[in-house]
Order: sequence, then structure tokens, then C-alpha cells
Amino acid sequence: MIKFERVSKHYPGGKRALADVSFDIEPGSMVFLTGHSGAGKSTLLRLIMMLERASRGNVIVDNRNLSESPDKIAPMVRRNTGMIFQDHKLLKDKTVSDNVALPLMIAGFKYSDIQKRVRAALDMVGLLNREKDWPLGLSGGEQQRVGVARAIVSMPPLLLADEPTGNLDPSLSRELFDLFGHISEQGTTVLIASHDLDLIRRTRKRVLVLSGGRLADDIPASDIS
Amino acid sequence: MNIQQWFSRLKRKNRAWMRRHSYSFFSSLGVLLQHKTGTLMTVLVLGIAMFLPLGLYTALSNMEGLDLRQDEWNAVSVFFKPATPESEVKRVAVLLQEKFEPEAILLTSPEDGMIEFRDASGFGESLEILDENPLPWVMQVSPARGSTGEVEASVARLTEFLASVDSVELTQFDFKWLQRLGRMMELGEAAVLVMILLFGLAMVVVVANTIRLDVASHAEEIEILALMGAGNAFVRQPFLYTGLWYGLTGGVLALILLVLTMFYLDRPLGMLLETYGTEFTLRGLGFYNTLRVLGLSAFLGWLGALISIQRYLRVLKVGGHLGRR
Repeated sequence: MIKFERVSKHYPGGKRALADVSFDIEPGSMVFLTGHSGAGKSTLLRLIMMLERASRGNVIVDNRNLSESPDKIAPMVRRNTGMIFQDHKLLKDKTVSDNVALPLMIAGFKYSDIQKRVRAALDMVGLLNREKDWPLGLSGGEQQRVGVARAIVSMPPLLLADEPTGNLDPSLSRELFDLFGHISEQGTTVLIASHDLDLIRRTRKRVLVLSGGRLADDIPASDIS
Repeated sequence: MNIQQWFSRLKRKNRAWMRRHSYSFFSSLGVLLQHKTGTLMTVLVLGIAMFLPLGLYTALSNMEGLDLRQDEWNAVSVFFKPATPESEVKRVAVLLQEKFEPEAILLTSPEDGMIEFRDASGFGESLEILDENPLPWVMQVSPARGSTGEVEASVARLTEFLASVDSVELTQFDFKWLQRLGRMMELGEAAVLVMILLFGLAMVVVVANTIRLDVASHAEEIEILALMGAGNAFVRQPFLYTGLWYGLTGGVLALILLVLTMFYLDRPLGMLLETYGTEFTLRGLGFYNTLRVLGLSAFLGWLGALISIQRYLRVLKVGGHLGRR
């Protein structure tokens, strides 16, 4: 599903974010990406979303080499990828269901289909009773779950999460990781950038460790204790 | 992929395109109605900006259609020497007809002239004290129609010929006045064109600035839409519709202002022109010109919005801010 071949990324001014990173993620698997702040986790996710272009190497997602693809396919790549952000990125002047419906409206779904899918996604994250509420009336954990519902509503084959538990308490974080596990079991490839080592250990999935922009370790699920 | 699959994919794409447009159409209307005061002020500015050239254009087109008795001004008045016999006058008229093929030749005998003068001057019976009719035979020759230059040349040839006729005392021609009026109308038309260009530019700038502020207040939404996979076209659409609405409503307002102004000016203008013996009713733009005004104003609004949103999207892409806030 995701393949990095000797990928490097340098920002203007010479700052190195990734250096010679290579790995391969199978479709339907759930993988954690960890490392200290500035290790390159967010840059790696941004490359997969085509928010950045690699300076060197190949970023291959769903058999498409993004490093050689034109900019114009970026919206299509993003429509096929669900993304969850640490700061949720919800529209405050739209209701919960309107926020979740955004990817479907962008894709041009029928109104009746949008209604059905939004309700199914909200049901999955346990927020069906809050569909008419405004984001500011929700707790941090609930807002993050709205973000998850929005990311999965169009059933993308790939789900990326950038520090999704950053603002959540341990109990809510555990719930969220369990939800990711459930989504992965349904065939979606899930890649989560997090530095919450306790939760990563508890989840027992493959872990990619970044350090100073390099892939320092690739720990298989069987080695997680 | 077979043809059937290709068609069904095309159909699906078209439906999605329609749904995206209807979403943008309604959301842009919603935004305008949400900010009623701001929208009203912008539409007022646009309406007044459009009204000014429109008003001048309407005034000019009404002047062009005004019955200013141009035929009379165009005609060369030929005064014969006193006591010239009718046969001589008619001989000259036939000669002129053969030589110059004018539009019309009108003969007025001294008797008819006296009757006309009596009616027009109001002297009435006072003229009875005259021993004899002092008026000469008068002939009015309207040169063949043509451009201003052609009429001028034809009048020059006519007067040159008439100067060589012994029985002719005097020839008169008021063409200069008409010429000046024509030049003034041309100047007016040029002024309308300049005003349309200037106020059209002003409309684009006003809409572009309004949309720029609109875009700035929706920066977060645009960023989230782009992160969710919205292409530039999807992000642009609501703003383009907003610009189109601004332009169109501005155009409608300008037309309403024009109708109100015409309604207000019609009576006093008519009364003024009545004193010159001209019946006058102000004419509006007409159906096709009204459609043109609405189309042009909608286009200018759309253009202003396009300039603004394109600039923002370029900055967003070049700056690489997407997802970084």
C-alpha cells in the first residue's frame, strides 16, 4: 500500500527532514510511526498526502509513484486518503454532521447517500446522538472522534493520523486506538504518527522509529512486548 | 473499459459535477444573505458605478432619436431676387434636380410665404398695411443623404452652382450647427466608452476586494477543504458564484436606478422640449440592451472574484502553508 524507496526531504534553507528512508507497508495493516519531535513523522505523512514533494527517492502509494506524479493529482490522492489531525481541523460554523459530510460533498455524492454514510460513520465513533451539535460544544475527545468519522466516511483505503491523541487523556486515547484497530480489521491501511509509547506497546502493532530524519528501527508486531 | 462502462462513468462524473455546482450555488447565496449589511453596501456601490455610464448612454441614445427637424437644418435655403417669375424658379428647380439629384426640393411662393409668416409671427392683420408682398420666392433644397462629409461636399457644389444663377439673390445653409451637434454626439459616445471601461474596472476592483476579504475570513475552511481533497475548482466555485451574484445584483440595481431617474425626468424634459415644438418621451434601454447590461455586470463580478481567489490559491500553493497551521 505504501512504499518508501530511499526517500529524502530537504526544506528550503537546507534543513533536512528525512534522509534515505525506505520501508514497505502492506494493505490492510496498522503501523505506528514514532520518534522525538522533529524526527520527521509529520513530513513523512505530508509526503504521502502530497502536501510536500520528496527531494529524492520514490514515494509509492497504492502502486502510484507520487514523486513522479504531477501536482494536479494531489486532490485525488487526498480524496483517497483519510487524514486525522492533532488539532482536529473541524469547521466551527458547521454542525458535526456537516463536518463529517465534507469529503462526500467534495466527491460529489448524492445527498441521500451522504446522509446515510454520515450517520454510519458517526455511529461507528459513537456520536450518532451529537450529529446536530456544533464542534465547540463537544469535548476534545469527541471532537477528535468527529475528525475520525470525517476521515473514514468515504471509506478510503488508507487512513493517516498525525498525533491523534496529543490532546486526549489516557482513557480516551486508548478508546481511539481501539477504534483504529477496528477500522484496520475492516481492511483499511492505518498509519499513525504518535510518541505515546505506552499506548503503542499496548496495541502491539508494527512500529517504525524515526530519529533525526532517518529510519532508526522497524519493529515487527511480534517483537512488541 | 467498454463503451457502456465509459458512458456510465461519464454520467456519474457529470452528476457529481452538477451536485458540486449546486452546493456552491446555494452556499454562495447563503453567505451573501448571512452578511446582509455588507452585501447591501457592496451592491449599492456596484449599482451606482454601473448606473453612471448607463445613464449617460441612455441620455445620448435619446438625443440621437430626438426629432430636431434635421431635414430643415440640412436644407439649403435659396432666396430669389424680388419679382422673379415662377417659370424661372421652376426652371432652376428642374436644373437642380437633373444636375444634383437632391433628396427633396420644396418651393414656397411669396404668397404662401406671407401666409406662413403671418401665422408664425403673430402680426396678423398688421401685415395688411403693406402695399405689396416684399417676400421673394424661396426654394429649400435637401441634399442627397450620406455621411457628414458627403453632405458637406454636396452642399458646397450646390451653393457654387446657385451663385452662378442670376435670379438667385442669396443662399443660406445651417449645416455647421448640425455638424457641431454631430461632433458633440461623437464626443459623448467616446465619453460613454471611457466611462464604461473605467467603471467596469472599478466594478472588478470592488468585487475583487470584497472577495479577497471573504476569502481571508474563510481561509481555515479553504485549507480544510484542500486537505480533504477539494481541487482548486471546488474551492473557487462558491467565490465565483458570490462574485457573479454581486455583479448581477449590482446590474439589476443600476437598471432600477435608471428606470427611476427616467421616470423622474420624463415630464420636465418633455415640457421643456414642447416649448421647441418637439414631442418627447424618454426611451429606455430595450430588451436586448438590458440583457447585455445584466450579462456584462455578472461577468465583471465573476472576473473580480476569479482574480482574487486565483491569487489566494497561488499564494497557498507557493507558500506551502497547507496543513501547517
